[in-house]
Amino acid sequence: MTRNLDLRIHRALDGELDRASLSPEELALVERLDAAAWALSDVPPVPGLAQRVLGIIRRPLESPLERFRRWVTSPHPVTVSLRPVYSVIIAVLLVALLWRSPASGPSLADHEGVAQFVARFPEAHSVAVVGPFNDWRPEATPLSDDDHDGVWDARVILPAGPHEYMFVVDGERWVADPMAGKYVDDGFGRQNAVMEVQPVRSE
Amino acid sequence: MNPSLLLVLLLLPQQTDGSRLTGHVPAAALPGVQAIITRAAQDSLPTEPLVEKALEGGAKGAPPDMIVTAVGAEEARLRTARDLLRGAGAPGPYATSEIQSVSLALARGLPDRIVSKVVGAVRDTAPGFALHAVADLSAHGFSQDSSVSLIVAALKTGLAGHRLLDVAAAADREVQRGRTRMQALAKVRAILPAIPSQRVPPGAMQGATRPKKGGG
Repeated sequence: MTRNLDLRIHRALDGELDRASLSPEELALVERLDAAAWALSDVPPVPGLAQRVLGIIRRPLESPLERFRRWVTSPHPVTVSLRPVYSVIIAVLLVALLWRSPASGPSLADHEGVAQFVARFPEAHSVAVVGPFNDWRPEATPLSDDDHDGVWDARVILPAGPHEYMFVVDGERWVADPMAGKYVDDGFGRQNAVMEVQPVRSE
Repeated sequence: MNPSLLLVLLLLPQQTDGSRLTGHVPAAALPGVQAIITRAAQDSLPTEPLVEKALEGGAKGAPPDMIVTAVGAEEARLRTARDLLRGAGAPGPYATSEIQSVSLALARGLPDRIVSKVVGAVRDTAPGFALHAVADLSAHGFSQDSSVSLIVAALKTGLAGHRLLDVAAAADREVQRGRTRMQALAKVRAILPAIPSQRVPPGAMQGATRPKKGGG
């Protein structure tokens, strides 16, 4: 029924059906639609409307960088075909590499050891250790006090054996390590502390 | 060999020493220090300890004449150390560190006689640790002859190198526990070679750095 009515209205609007054959309700509807179409035909077109609408609905062009970022961050299926023998070789190489890498610090030669210099200078702003191993240069080997408890320390790799040394506090005060227990006259009216560095490796 | 090339090679170490000293040692001390270094090099003594002594004097702000005197005293000690090694029949040639180690033992107060006894007892190995073990004991009030006797006994049981320092430390610990020095030496001698080790624990080298020489 509705379909027939719609079809009759369409035909009447298209001029294919004589409006005299329409019922009063159909005629009223056709006249309202006519009036609406007439009103719309008077509305001037909005300038640039098509471009504005297309600008909204069209996806903006991506830069190559943006496309790459999207490619990298999106999941992709990856398939690696490898012969088992190559897998074994790669695994062995990785194990060997990890085995040879030192856990921390530089590697030591057989005749070398680590000297740990520790000093307590609560009021100091800087402490350094000097000796023949750094040409007695206060700037060469600073001690650190990371937790600011006044205890300064440094670890230095030296040849095994006895080493003379002093601390330089705040860049100007030269102090023989009071905890060294071994001292030797320095020839300049003071004493150097002496530390025996033990080789890390067994003899 | 081309004579001019030989001259260049002979002068090269001195120029290197001189360049390390310039700016770090008072200019007034340089001629005296250079003369001592040249003399030491001509006598096949190590020159590095002399350079270091001069740099030490410069860093400590010592007056020029005191620096020259200290470098001269260092040269004399090195010469004595080398002669003691030779006299005790230690096989040469001697490494700089070996001569320097004996020299430092002399500087710590060990007399020539004691050094000769230790070097003669050590024979085929570097005497540095043995000497400093004796020097440690001597510094803690043990008689020098008794100290040599203990270290020689330790050597005979197979202890060597830095383990000899453990022997000296063990004797000192016994004194701290209330024994007389004679008792301490006897106690340690009785337990040789089972001396507790004071080795550096693994991981001690974490964060360790190598010092650099000759900067600026």
